[in-house]
Amino acid sequence: MIPALGEFALWIALPISIWGCVLAFLGGRWSRGDLVLSAERSTYAITVLFVIAAVGIVTAFMGDQFQYWYVYNYSSINLHPFFKFSGLWAGQRGSLLFWGLNLSAFSSLAVLLNRSRNRELMPYANGVLLAFLAFFISISLFVTPPFEQLGFLPADGRGLNPQLQNYWMTIHPPTMYLGFTSFTVPFAFAMSALMVGRLDSRWIDVTRKWILTSWFFLTLAVIFGMRWAYEELGWGGYWFWDPVENASLLPWLVATAFLHSVMIQKSRGMLKVWNMGLVVLTFLMTIFATFLTRSGLIESVHSFAQNLTIAWIFLGCMVVTGGFALILIIWRLPLLRSERHFESLLSRESAFLMNNLILLGVTFAVIWGTMFPLLTEGLTGSKIAVGPPFFNQVNIPIGLILLLMMGIGPVIAWRKASPRNLRRNFLFPGAVFLSAAAILFAAGVRHTYALLTFALGAFVLTVIVVEFWKGTRARARIEEEPPLTAFLHLVRRNRGRWGGYIVHVGVVIMFMGFAGSAFDREVRQSMVPGESVSIESPFGHEYTLTYQGLSTSLVPSMRQTIALFSVQKDGVDIGSITTQRQLVLATTPPQPISEVGIRSTLVEDLYVILATVDDAVLLGSNDPQLQRATFQVLVNPLVPWIWYGGLIIATGALIGLWPGAGVPTRSRRMGSGFRAGAAVGAGTSGRESEASTPDSTTSAPTTVG
Amino acid sequence: MHRDRRFFAGLVGVAAVVSYLIYTGISDTMVYYLTPSELLTRIEESPETMERGVKVNGMLVPGSYVHSTHELLHTFVVEDPNDASVRMTVEFRHPLPDTFDDSGEMEVEVVMQGRYRADGLFEATEVLTKCGSRYEAMPEMPPQADVNEGVGGMIG
Repeated sequence: MIPALGEFALWIALPISIWGCVLAFLGGRWSRGDLVLSAERSTYAITVLFVIAAVGIVTAFMGDQFQYWYVYNYSSINLHPFFKFSGLWAGQRGSLLFWGLNLSAFSSLAVLLNRSRNRELMPYANGVLLAFLAFFISISLFVTPPFEQLGFLPADGRGLNPQLQNYWMTIHPPTMYLGFTSFTVPFAFAMSALMVGRLDSRWIDVTRKWILTSWFFLTLAVIFGMRWAYEELGWGGYWFWDPVENASLLPWLVATAFLHSVMIQKSRGMLKVWNMGLVVLTFLMTIFATFLTRSGLIESVHSFAQNLTIAWIFLGCMVVTGGFALILIIWRLPLLRSERHFESLLSRESAFLMNNLILLGVTFAVIWGTMFPLLTEGLTGSKIAVGPPFFNQVNIPIGLILLLMMGIGPVIAWRKASPRNLRRNFLFPGAVFLSAAAILFAAGVRHTYALLTFALGAFVLTVIVVEFWKGTRARARIEEEPPLTAFLHLVRRNRGRWGGYIVHVGVVIMFMGFAGSAFDREVRQSMVPGESVSIESPFGHEYTLTYQGLSTSLVPSMRQTIALFSVQKDGVDIGSITTQRQLVLATTPPQPISEVGIRSTLVEDLYVILATVDDAVLLGSNDPQLQRATFQVLVNPLVPWIWYGGLIIATGALIGLWPGAGVPTRSRRMGSGFRAGAAVGAGTSGRESEASTPDSTTSAPTTVG
Repeated sequence: MHRDRRFFAGLVGVAAVVSYLIYTGISDTMVYYLTPSELLTRIEESPETMERGVKVNGMLVPGSYVHSTHELLHTFVVEDPNDASVRMTVEFRHPLPDTFDDSGEMEVEVVMQGRYRADGLFEATEVLTKCGSRYEAMPEMPPQADVNEGVGGMIG
């Protein structure tokens, strides 16, 4: 009954969304509060209806109602309830409804938070949100109906792809959808600002937290996806430059550019058209990603089935939305004029612009590499392939420039950096860069890119640590606080800025983790129980793995073959590691899946893959010769740093997001204020309450009113 | 509106660098994506194709898979998707993807990157399997046997 109710809810939601959308725009146009209110209530109502629809799907999964096509294809009786629940977003049909659910929830939240604070922008923003809600409701009703019935009740479902039965894969998609959908809100406010003609930084103030929220979820989602690939795909890597991976990276790259360039508009009144363009582009990238992932047009390891209808719909949505936004921007160009101009190449504005250009460059390279085979085939008919070597060759050098900018951007002066400013901020970090490079070279690191990554990383970290140190010291002196208190207050006073620095620390750690792949080690060996294999890590440790044997067992729903190794590190026993292959019998037909063995230390992973084994003959036999199997043993240096870096990034973003951060409090307590311009970019702007305007008043006192 | 030259200089500079990287990246790393018969034709026309890496897709021949017991070495046969008479033997020295299944229960398309050797073997450095049915393109109808079970009264 409940699933039927869910479907019914979707049918009701459609007219409400269209109705609400029309009312929102009319209400805004005619300044009719009653219409605006009605539209706002429509948004709330749609959220409730989406919740009912989602409950309907979950109930159908939990109750093994295989008469539904979607449940039949993505579940089975003996699937763990946890994964039955995740059926809501496991496949195309559910995930598009889940998308709508998230979008409706974010829309309601946006309305709730802004309806009284931003009366001017809210009606149009709500109208845009309702238009997209209508779009997603229509898709769930007419294109990919999650409630479609087979017309009979199969005894069991086909089961969930075992590769998706992984913790990370369960949280990765919803996190991605949270990031994608929440970006609709900043886009809606940007469109609203264009329609109303209110193009000061109001819409940016309103949406700053939203942008950071989307960015936070996108970041987590990309990292979760990498983690899943690393654990589950079993080839020792975490990123393959697969179109679906690229799709998730694209909005992230543009959103990152936007997060930075917004600061320029906030503090200098520049780049208004640019920012408008970036918010539109980020949003278009979320749709483009959906198009790439779901159309199946681009060959991918883990794409959804080819669905040209969906492809055309999302492509159409992209063109219409993009065209609409473009027309609005052109119409409002006179209002988007820059208040100031670039004065010097050696300035924070330039550094941020550079950062933006580079991020967009990466975006373009990724799109190009992903689409090139399709374009070539369409234009010349010859099929070609562009793979990871292309993306690495192009993106690593760009990434290194980005890393450099990450050290320069935060501390170079606004407007025009004086030689004094440059000396003061870059002499010491520059020396650290050179020493780090020299030490690494002396230690035998000859891989240029890796060496540069570590040395530039050291440079950026030094810049950030010095910033923290200067800020804390200044605050401790002026407020007469103990250092730790001063440090905490410093961060709390301007969470956007210091949170951002912490994000940078995480990014540096993560880049170093990527660079570690230059030093991967691997051995492949066929073994019988009792034999050992040794592998030396780039850090000089020697791991010796002794194959103890293989056990094969039939557990409900799968046949499990587990290989056991005892592990010695530099001659000392450190325990054991298992690696296994499972044949999941619950799916039709049975599907094999490997579970690699991973043993992590602070700096490296030991990663063991059971490559080939004749497990079928093994049941009930003890003959060691039959237990012969081939293994691939890898040492992946610095991979753990990717996950640590991810944690640090998430922490930094959360600090920036924490309620209260960046709320403009106009009162600047005079007693605790610092002297303007006392130390350019030296962390003395702790008083500045605008989260994303690092020391705009202190370092550019003459231009900021 | 005063045009900021530096702004455009920066824009053009970065665009030039990125374009250069993309251009050289594509020309250095791009490989042809062929079917086995296309590959063989091309090698006949220009033998130097053998030197360069190539991406090939073919259908896995059921039952053709064997693996060595003494080293990590998989061997299997693929046939041209359009012409079943053209076959190619493939050697691969890394772990296979989980979805590699030569039981014949379903059609498995294999996408390999590697090099065609003079001895007629394709030496793959990368193997991907594509079997849509693992993902979404599942048959709409379950086996007929299930149809007659449990229909009455259980739906609705």
